[in-house]
This record gives sequence, C-alpha cells and structure tokens, in this order.
Amino acid sequence: MEIATRAAMQEATSAGRDIAIRTGGRARRPNSVRLRRLNILVGALSLPLFIGLWELVSRSGTVNMVLFPPPTVVAAAVLEWIRSGQFFSDLLASLFRVTTGFIIGGALGILLGVLTGQFPLISSLLSPLFHILRPIPPIAFVPIVILWFGLSEAGKLFLVVWGVFFTVWLSTHIGVQKVDRGLIRAALMLGTPRRQMLQEIVLLGALPYIVVGLRTAVSISFYTLVAAELAGAFAGIVYRIEIAQQNLQTGQVMGGLAALGLISFIADRLFAALAERIVWWR
Amino acid sequence: MNLALASSPASVESARTQPAIQVSNLSIVFDTKRGQIIAVDRVSFDVAPGEFVCIAGPSGCGKSTVLNTIAGLEVPFEGEILVEGAPVYSPRPDVGMVFQQPHLFPWKSVRSNIAHGPRMLGKSTTEAYAIADDLIAMVGLKRFADAYPNTLSGGMQQRVAIARALANQPRVLLMDEPFGALDAQTRAVMQDNLLALRDRIKATIVFVTHDIDEAIVLADRVLIMSAGPGRILREVAVKLPRPRSSSVMVEPAYLSLKKDCLDVIRAEGLRAFNQSDAD
Repeated sequence: MEIATRAAMQEATSAGRDIAIRTGGRARRPNSVRLRRLNILVGALSLPLFIGLWELVSRSGTVNMVLFPPPTVVAAAVLEWIRSGQFFSDLLASLFRVTTGFIIGGALGILLGVLTGQFPLISSLLSPLFHILRPIPPIAFVPIVILWFGLSEAGKLFLVVWGVFFTVWLSTHIGVQKVDRGLIRAALMLGTPRRQMLQEIVLLGALPYIVVGLRTAVSISFYTLVAAELAGAFAGIVYRIEIAQQNLQTGQVMGGLAALGLISFIADRLFAALAERIVWWR
Repeated sequence: MNLALASSPASVESARTQPAIQVSNLSIVFDTKRGQIIAVDRVSFDVAPGEFVCIAGPSGCGKSTVLNTIAGLEVPFEGEILVEGAPVYSPRPDVGMVFQQPHLFPWKSVRSNIAHGPRMLGKSTTEAYAIADDLIAMVGLKRFADAYPNTLSGGMQQRVAIARALANQPRVLLMDEPFGALDAQTRAVMQDNLLALRDRIKATIVFVTHDIDEAIVLADRVLIMSAGPGRILREVAVKLPRPRSSSVMVEPAYLSLKKDCLDVIRAEGLRAFNQSDAD
C-alpha cells in the first residue's frame, strides 16, 4: 500500500511539474503540500481507527470476549499490572537480560569478527565452526540450556548472547574483509606501520558494517529473550505473558505483547539514533 | 614546514649525480586463469632528481604496474628498482603516491587526512597539524580544513590527496592518473595547479597518464609505452619553457611535439592491429 501511495504521490508531483512549467512555477506547491497534509492526517488516524474497530468487533458479540478482549479491557489490565508494581520488576528483569546479553554477545562478536576478518589462519580455524552453528535458531537451544543451566539467569543470558554473537560476528567479519584496499595502500604509502593498520584503518573502515550488525542484533536479542523467558523464569515481560495465559487473563497477555513491541521499538529507535553518532563522518 | 623554492628543474646536467629513480630490466608477470601474462617486459629508465617524467600509454600497457612497483606495492618478477640509490622492497615514506581515486580516509577531516603521514612518522599532533595547515593553504582549501571528504567535489578530494602525499616531504612523488576521473575543465585547472605546486616542491615526479596532451603539458620527458607486453617505445624530451601552464597547448613547439608522439602511437597501434589480425 505504501508503494501505491508513493507512486500516486510521484505521479501527482510530476503532473504538478508539468503545470509548473506551463504556468511559471506556481501550481506545483499547493498540490504537493495538500497531498503531504493528507498523508500526515491519515497517518495520525491509523492507530485510533484500528483500536476503535477492535473495540467494536470485540463488543459486537460475534467473538468470545474472554479470548478477544477489547482494548479498554487490555488497558485496564495494563494499568493494574503497573499499579501492582510487577510491571517494573518485570521490565527490569527483561531489560537486564537483553542489555547484558547484547553487550556480552556484541563485544565477543566484534572481537572475534576482527580476528577472523583480519587473520586468515584464525578464520580457517573458526569460520567453518561458526558457519555451522550460526543457522541453528537460538530457540532450539532451550532444552539443552535448561539441562546445563537449569532456570538460572546464566541460561537466559546464554541464549541472548548466542543470538547476538553470530549476527555481530558475521557483519564484523565481512566489514573487516571489505575494507577498501585502496585505503590500505594509501595508508601504507604514508608510512602507516602494518601493526597500526588495524586501529588506524581497518576498525574504522569496518565500523559501518559493525553498526548494521549491532542494530540487527537489537531485534534478535528480543527474539531470544522470548525463548529464554518461556523456558522458565521468575520475572520478566514474557514470563508475565505466559502466567497470564495460564490464568486465561487474555487482556494481560495482549498488554504484555504490546509492552514487548513498544520496548523493542524504542530500543531499535534509540540504537538507530546512536548509530548515526557512531559513524560520525556520514 | 619548509617548502623551499625548487631548485631549477633538473635536466641533462644533473645526470652526473645519482638518479632519483633507476629502473633496470624490470619485468612483471601476472598469473591469470589463462596462464602467465607478461605485463611489463624489460623496462629500463632513469629519472634525474627533480625531474618530471610522464609515462604515457594505452590502458593495459602496464604503466600503472611500473608505478606500483616503484612504490613498493608490487614485487618485480625480474629486474631492480633503486630509489635514491636504495632498492625498493616495500612502501617507503620518502616515496609518496597519489592514486587515480583519492582514497581519502572518510572518517578523517581534510586536516587529519593530511596530518596522517607525519603522525605515522612520529610527529606530534600539533606538528602534524601545522604541516597540514601549510599544505591546505598551498592547495587552496583553507575553508574546507575541517570538512569530511564526502562533502568535497572530486577535484577538491584529489587536491587533498596530493597535499596528503606531500605531507611527508617525499623525495619522489608518484602519480597514477590522478586526474583521470575528473571532468575536462577540472582536469585543466588541476594540471595548472600541479605545475605551480611543482615549482615549490623539490620532489621528483613520475606521472602516469593515457592522455598525451596531459603528458606533454606537465613533463620534462615523456616515456611512451606500448601494450602487450608493456615496453617503452620512445622517449620524448619536452623542452617547452617553464613556468608552464595548460595554455602552452596552442603553441607551435607543443603541436610539433604532439605530432611526434602521435606518430609513434599510431605506428604502434597499426602494428598491434595487424598482428592481432594475423593471429
């Protein structure tokens, strides 16, 4: 649908341009401004419209309200969740797992990605192993993680670290390998010692790739969080969703989903903003 | 930085002193899927200190390969290269290079790009920046000292690349079609800039180009190379007066030189064409 809108807009602006040529540039702007305003208006109405429709369908009697509660019920459940104080302990537990796992997995991924990207011998040793382990979905490790770590925090961190590590490792590895040979030659001609090449050229050259890998890993850390908390926990957003499901508190389940979506959205946006500062020369 | 005015352009008189560059019997062989290919076949030439030599020839004649070997970026299959009397095994800070692409470090400002070389050679950041600022003034980019390369035009980027190569005060400056990617107008301006710059630095310059006009405008001597395998066909001394600018291109002396060069190139082209026909 977005594509259709964009095509329509392009058509509108190019039609506007034709008029502009004929009338000396006055016709184009009002037209495109009106279109842009319409887009903003539709965008602002999107969520309220959707929620209103949901409320109507839920209360119409055509669906089971226990299984498909209206947004007002969901909101009440969320408010109760917050008031009880459980929301913040759940949030903290989940955020702790995601951030700690992300930092450990990211750091390991960058470290090993630089090593395998820069040194062919290390790459020959590790890359085959990593390429076999990487495609296994982290969720598949839940059974063995429970065997190894029981229900401890270490097991949950392990899952998040596992998911984050391979993404960051691969993008760092590729980034290091793709550093412009021309920059290396230029640096060599300027007297850059080979042992300083890593810090002066390679790391910075690979930085845009590393940042992309880290950003992908932000979403992955939330995926793996779900697996980790479903495997058994004592607090956490996904843990709360599971408990609510067992008690048939569907409103709470939906509230939990919304919270998870919102947190993961905010995390992605924050990282995107951060990424622009990390790659400062763009 | 002390960018003293140049000693008078070197010429035949200085041949008695040690050449800045000696290339003797240089052959370079590439391994390809179809077997070994002789890219450069027994090329020999000397360059006097302070001399400006252009190597001109069609693409694929191995002229860039010769330059890369002088730079120490490629290893000769056979033969020897001496710069300032010492054999070249790897890149040396007294040999600077400007590539066809500017290859500026995108994460460094213009000033930091130029300061990179001096910093790598152990100068303090303050000293390196002072050197950079002198060179920035020299290439006329004062307003852009703190800009990042991706905000500069192609011509400006290449001026930064030249300043960066000069920052280590190289005895030898190698230029590999540095203006090849620029539009014709910018290229003419850059040629004039280089000629003016050249009068202020002491470096010996070897400049590779496929543009015979560019070669004659810039050089004291033009080496014309042929392709397949790369060999030196002819040496043409350019005795046009200096200081020179691209306006020299309309003078009779220039035109007769150009005719000589074109005759050599045409004869070789014809020979190569007939040969490939006979194959």
